This record gives sequence, structure tokens and C-alpha cells, in this order.
Amino acid sequence: MNSKLNKPFSKDILKFENVAAEADRISVRIKEDIFGLVKRKGAIIGISGGIDSSVTLALTVKALGSDKVIGIMLPEKDSSPESKEFALKLADKFKINTLEEDITGALEGFGCYNRRDEAVTSVFPEYNPADYKMKIGINQSGLNQFLPPVFSLTIINQDGESISKVLPVREYLQIVAASNFKQRCRMSMLYYHAERLHYAMIGTPNKHEVEQGFFVKNGDGGADIMPIAHLYKSQVYQLAEYLGVPEEIIKRTPTSDTYTAEQTQEEFFFQMPYHEMDLIWYGMENEIAPEEVGNVLGKPAEDIKLIYNNFIRKQRTTAYLRMPPITY
Amino acid sequence: MEDIVQIQEKIKQFVINTSYVSEDQVKNDTLIFTQGIMDSMGFISIIEFIEESFSVTAADNELIEANFESVQAIANFVLRKLQSV
Repeated sequence: MNSKLNKPFSKDILKFENVAAEADRISVRIKEDIFGLVKRKGAIIGISGGIDSSVTLALTVKALGSDKVIGIMLPEKDSSPESKEFALKLADKFKINTLEEDITGALEGFGCYNRRDEAVTSVFPEYNPADYKMKIGINQSGLNQFLPPVFSLTIINQDGESISKVLPVREYLQIVAASNFKQRCRMSMLYYHAERLHYAMIGTPNKHEVEQGFFVKNGDGGADIMPIAHLYKSQVYQLAEYLGVPEEIIKRTPTSDTYTAEQTQEEFFFQMPYHEMDLIWYGMENEIAPEEVGNVLGKPAEDIKLIYNNFIRKQRTTAYLRMPPITY
Repeated sequence: MEDIVQIQEKIKQFVINTSYVSEDQVKNDTLIFTQGIMDSMGFISIIEFIEESFSVTAADNELIEANFESVQAIANFVLRKLQSV
């Protein structure tokens, strides 16, 4: 999605001059699309206590009213307890009804945890899920190069000591495939409630998640409407302030909340702070000279050029996630 | 120990077989990642391949463009590592 703005490139280029107008525009579209296009009578949103689902919920409540929106919390045994606490604060603020569906049992049924732990154990034989936490993340050194990222597996013992290793292909794929049960389970449960109530399912990914492929196909990538999929992260934060999303949620560091060890989204996937990522992504998709972007961010043009290439590669390698099924 | 030509040939064949491109698309100096021939999975597969085929383990700080951008770069890296043993 290319969103060229007719103003000189600056640190504030993505800032909405009229945030109220954007909130109005999106909420009008949500209402029109749910009632007119999707032809449903309300909206279901999975709420994690994160900024994206909170802004999506606030916009949907603005569009339909609190009585036609239900927030669903979908914890599992690896979820941070903070997620529920923040989700409830959000629900309280926007006066919506909530439901809680613990998906741990379903995930155990799929073998999510066992399959993941089997792959972790084959890399680190000493790993025992009762005593260790685990996470995977991108090797940071890959960011400024033409090379694709390499994922590392980290296990952390009860004394906080960690060891990391580059993940072999088979184990990497198994850990990701097993973990993706989480997003797919959530999607199934959300659609259960959406269909039960004849409501639409509202997805919560932002522009970076969609375009860089930070979502699970037919998992959190499955929804009827994605109201913030065109928004840069800094714009999501600007809307959050305007819509009155609780301050604790705005200040919370975005996490992946997928693996047992704590991990920020920056560490897991994006590799840079969101305010820089927003501006460099904007520069890349609007073909702004790396020198110009570099001047504004105080970085060498060469670094910006490498990050452009990294973004282009991510877009290319994740294109299949955004593809509808191929038909003949 | 295998010579550089043999190492290049093995790596080239691996790249061709795992990327499903035609043989003429992969020369020794083709930038296999920049040109989209190999992706993230391909990169990890190459790391595994040189470990299994040549017993060469790449350390984290060796996972750089200069060592992996092309068949030639990978072969040079493998040879350097073998010679340093």
C-alpha cells in the first residue's frame, strides 16, 4: 500500500494533521462495511491488551457503539498475565462486554507445546519446559546487509542464564509451525463467536505487520475487516491518544507474547524502533532518496539503502502470506 | 582436501537444487540473495549444508555478506575455514 503525502520528508511527515478526521473516516468505513458489505450486525475483536487491538476496538466502538462490539480475550498457558489485565482495562474504558476463552486445552490437543518443545530439545538436549523459558529471534547482524535474517533459538534457565544457537531449518520450521497453532486457534474461536452472533470479525494488524509479513496466514491474518492495516505504528499511537486508549496500554512495549520467554516485537522481528521503521518504510515505498531520509534520521545514506533492501526482501519473501488461494 | 573448484561446484549444485531455478541462472558470482534466488530458509540451508558437507561451522559474526553473497563467496569462506584448521 503506497501512501504518498504531498509534503517534504521530515520526522513529522506521518503525523496526522487532523487525527479526528482520520478516526471519523475509518469509523464511518467500519460501519458501512459491517452493515452494508459484510452484512453483519456487530463486531468481534480479539483483545490482547496491546496497542493495535486496543485502537481497533476503540475505532469499532466509535463506529457501532459499545453494545454491538464484543472483546474476546484468548489466553493460553504461555500468555503474559498482563495481557488480560490490560484487556480488561480497555473493555472497562470503552464499556464493552468481554468473553474469556482459554485456548490452552485446544493447543494441547493440537500438540502445539509438545511439538514445539520437541524441536527445541533437539537443538538444546538440556531443555526442559518446566525449568527453561524459550524464544526465537532474528539475528541482529543481518539488518544492515543484503542477507536475509537468520533465526536464533534462546533458552533461559531459572537463574536467568541464557544460551542461543542459530536454528537449523527443520527445527525452525517446526517451532514456527507449532507456535502458529496459537494464532489459528484464536482465529477459529473468534469466528465461532462471530458466527454465533452473526457478527463480523475485525482483524487488528497494522501496516508493518501486513506488509512485512508479521502475521500468521489463516491465523491473525484471517478477518473480515482490518481497519488499521493501512496505518504506520506511529499513526496507531496517535489515534490511541486521540481515542482515549488507557495510558498503560500506550506505554506498554509491544511484545510477541508467543514464546515462554519475554520478547519485544522489535527483538523478535522488526529489528528497529517503530518511529524509525515508519519513516524508513515510508521513504522506501515512496522512493525517497536514502540521502534525504538519512539526513532527517541522522544516519548514513548507505545504511538507509541497506534497510530499504531489507524491507524489499521482506516484502518479496512474505508475498505468499498475503496471496489469496490460487485458483485456475 | 577439496579444491576451490570442487567446493564451488558442490555449493552451486546445492543452490540450484534447493532454489528450483535453472542452472544458467546461478553463476559463481551471482548475488544469490540480492537477486532473490535464495531466501531466509535458503540461507539457513546453506549454513547447514557447509556444516554437513565440509564440516565448516559459521560463527554468528561470520554470517555476513562477504562470506555468503554468492557461490564464490561461500566457497572462499569454506576454503579459508578448512585451511585454518
